[in-house]
Amino acid sequence: MALLEIQGLRTYFKTQEGTLQAVDGIDFNLDKGQALGLAGESGCGKTTAALSIMKLLPANGYIAGGKINFMGQDMARVTGDKLRAIRWRDISIIFQGAMNALNPVKRVGEQIIEPIILHEKVDEEVALKRVKELFEMVGINPSRIREYPHEFSGGMRQRVMIAMALACKPRLVIADEPTTALDVMIQAQIIALLKSLQKDLDLAMIVISHDLSVLAETCDVLAIMYAGKIVERAPAGEVFYDPHHPYTRGLIAAFPNIHGEKKMPASIAGNPPNLINPTKGCRFYDRCFMKQDICKTKEPPLVEIKPGHWAACNFVPPMKG
Amino acid sequence: MVKDILVVKDLQVWFPVRQGFIESLVSKEQRYVKAVDGVSFNIKEKEIFCLVGESGCGKTTTGKGILRLVEPTGGSVKYYGKGKEILLKDMISDALAKGKITKAQAEKMTAEGGIDVRALHKSKMKKLRQKMQIIFQDPYESLNPKQSVYDIVAEPLVVNGIGATEAEREKRVVKALEDAGLRPPKDFMWRYPHEVSGGQRQRVGIAGSLVLEPEFLVADEPVSMLDVSIRSEILKLMLDLRDNKGLAFLFITHDLGVAYVFSDRIGIMYLGKIVELGPTEEVVKHPAHPYTKALISVVPTPDPEMRRNQIILKGERPDPSNMPPGCRFHPRCPFVMDICRKEAPATVFVSEGHWVSCHLEKGQAK
Ligand SMILES: Nc1ncnc2c1ncn2[C@@H]1O[C@H](COP(=O)(O)OP(=O)(O)O)[C@@H](O)[C@H]1O
Ligand SMILES: Nc1ncnc2c1ncn2[C@@H]1O[C@H](COP(=O)(O)OP(=O)(O)O)[C@@H](O)[C@H]1O
Ligand SMILES: [Mg+2]
Ligand SMILES: [Mg+2]
Repeated sequence: MALLEIQGLRTYFKTQEGTLQAVDGIDFNLDKGQALGLAGESGCGKTTAALSIMKLLPANGYIAGGKINFMGQDMARVTGDKLRAIRWRDISIIFQGAMNALNPVKRVGEQIIEPIILHEKVDEEVALKRVKELFEMVGINPSRIREYPHEFSGGMRQRVMIAMALACKPRLVIADEPTTALDVMIQAQIIALLKSLQKDLDLAMIVISHDLSVLAETCDVLAIMYAGKIVERAPAGEVFYDPHHPYTRGLIAAFPNIHGEKKMPASIAGNPPNLINPTKGCRFYDRCFMKQDICKTKEPPLVEIKPGHWAACNFVPPMKG
Repeated sequence: MVKDILVVKDLQVWFPVRQGFIESLVSKEQRYVKAVDGVSFNIKEKEIFCLVGESGCGKTTTGKGILRLVEPTGGSVKYYGKGKEILLKDMISDALAKGKITKAQAEKMTAEGGIDVRALHKSKMKKLRQKMQIIFQDPYESLNPKQSVYDIVAEPLVVNGIGATEAEREKRVVKALEDAGLRPPKDFMWRYPHEVSGGQRQRVGIAGSLVLEPEFLVADEPVSMLDVSIRSEILKLMLDLRDNKGLAFLFITHDLGVAYVFSDRIGIMYLGKIVELGPTEEVVKHPAHPYTKALISVVPTPDPEMRRNQIILKGERPDPSNMPPGCRFHPRCPFVMDICRKEAPATVFVSEGHWVSCHLEKGQAK
C-alpha cells in the first residue's frame, strides 16, 4: 500500500465571482521514501493541493470530491486531536517564504523546541538536544539556536524551516517552493540538502515549484500541473528526456541553456485560463502550439503512454494493449 | 566607434556600522559595510551590461549608487547620454552667471561632455533621473495596490510636472503601456495591480519607467520573481526597447543563465568588487575566475545530467563589514593558494576586453 494515495481530488474556492476550481481531479500515489515533484506555473493549484492534504485550507476552500488516503486512513474522517497529531508527527510542511512562517520575536531554537515537547511529550533537555542534532543535520551551527529569525540570511532561514519540519521525524514532508526567492548558489545548496536528507532519512517528500530545475534532482517522479489538472506524470528523467505534453515541452524550453549557443529561450505566451467556469475542452488550448479544433471541445484524459509515463493531450496516443 | 553612455570609476559605497556603546569604547575606529568597494565599468550606447553575483555582493547598491538613490562615498560616475545636454547647458550658464566658473572652464566642460553625476545638486539630479531610471525586482511590492495602472504609470509625470494637460499625460501613458507590451492599453489602464498577472505587473512597472522616455535603465532583477516560463517575454521586451528605442541597460541578476542569453557584456561581482569582466560569450565560454566557473555550474537546468557537475560553494553571504585579507574569495575558493590569503590579486587581461582578478591568471596587468 502506498503511503499517500490521492484519487480524483477536487478542491474549490468560493469567491464573489463564482466557484473557482483550483484543483480539479488529480491523482497520484506516493510510496514510503519516494519524492514527488509538483510543477507548474503560479496559480495552477500546487499549494491548494498541498493544503488539501494537510487539511489546512482557508475558510472559503473545500474539498469538492475525491479521496486522500494517508497511511491507510481516509483524511476526510480525521479531525481534532488526531489531525493535529498527524500534522506535525506524520506530515509536515515547509511553507513558501520562510520569513513569514517564523515568529520574528521568538528565538529560533524555542520555535522548534515547543512542538517537540508538545508532540513527543519529552522534557526540555531532550528537546534541546534534538534541536541541536537537527541544526547539525541541516548545516547550521548549533550555537545559533538562541538567535532570532532576522539574524539569519534567507538561505539559513530556509534551513531553520527544514529543521523545524523534521523536528518530529515525519514520514512525509511537503516543501512548497523551498528555494523561491533564494539566489542560485543558495538554491543549489538547499536542493542538495533536501536530497541528502530525503535519502538518509528515507523520507517521503512532495516538492512543489514553478521551477522544474528545482525538482529535476530531488524527485523520483514529476507531476506537471496546468490549470488545476495534472497534464503529465512520469519519472523525473523521462520528463526531461522524453516530454510529451506541449506544456511540459514549453516549460523545459523556457530555461536558458548556458552550455549551448547564446540565444533567448522560448516562452509560453499568454496566460492560464480563468478557473471560474473554465472551458469544456483542453485547458491549455489558448496557449498550445499543437492545438486543433477538437481540443476546443474534447478534454483529454490522463492516459498511460508508456509504462509509468502518463500524459493528457489529444495528440499523444495511449500505450497499445 | 560606439560611445559610452555611462562610465563608472572606482565607485565606492560604504555604510557606517553602528557601534554599540561598549564597542565604541574599545575601538575608536569606525567600521564600514563595504557594500561597493571600488567598482569600475562602462556601458556603451544601446548596450546591455549585466552585473552578476550572489545576493549581498553589492549589485543593488551599485545600481542605486549610480542613480544616487544612495550616496556613493567615493569614485566617479559620468553620464554621456543625450539627456545630459540640456542639463549641462543649464548648469554651465548658471555657473557662469554666478561667476563660479570661468569661461574657459565652461568651454572645457562642454567639450568633455560627460555629466559628473556625483557633483550634481539634488534638484538637477531629479531632472537627470528622468533619463536614468530604475526598475525593481518585485512587481508585487513595488506597485501601490490602491492605484490603478493608469495612475501608477502617470505618477512620474505628475511628480516631475510633465504634461500640461491631462490629455497630454494620457497620451504619454498610453504610449508607455504600448511600449511595455500591454496592448491594447485601454484594456489595462483601469485595472488594479491584483487584477493583472505577475508578468503583466512587471510590465506595468516598466511602463512607469518608460513614461519619462529614459535613455538608460537600471533593471534590478526584473525577472527573478517571475515564473521561468514567462521570463523570456520580459527579457525580449527589454531587447526590443534597446533595438527600437536605443535604450542602454544595467541589468542586475544572480542567475548567470539569464545574463548569458540576454546581455552584451558581463561583470561578475563578489563582495563589493568586480572580479571578472568581459564580452558575455567570452566570459561564459572561457571563464577565468573560479567564482565565475562556480556560477556557471549552478545555473538552474531541468537536465538531471547537467546538474551532476555542479560546483556548490559552501557558506553564503560573506560579511562586507569584515573583509577577508588577500583575495576576498579565498575562503570559498576551491583552488586557494598561499598567496591568495595574503595578497589581493592584480587585475590582468585574459583577452580583448576580458579581464580578471585572480592569482591563477598570469596575464598582463591592467
Ligand atoms: N483563498 C482563496 N480564495 C480564492 N481563490 C484562491 C484562494 N487561494 C488560492 N486561490 C486560487 O486558486 C488557484 C490556485 O492557487 P494556488 O494553489 O495557490 O496555486 P500555486 O500554488 O500553483 O501557485 C489560483 O487561481 C488562486 O488564485
Ligand atoms: N542601507 C544600508 N545600510 C547598511 N548596509 C546595507 C545597506 N544597503 C545594503 N547594505 C549591505 O550592503 C551589502 C550589499 O547589498 P546589496 O547591494 O543589496 O546586494 P545585492 O543587490 O547584490 O544582493 C549587503 O551586505 C547589505 O546588507
Ligand atoms: Mg503556491
Ligand atoms: Mg539586490
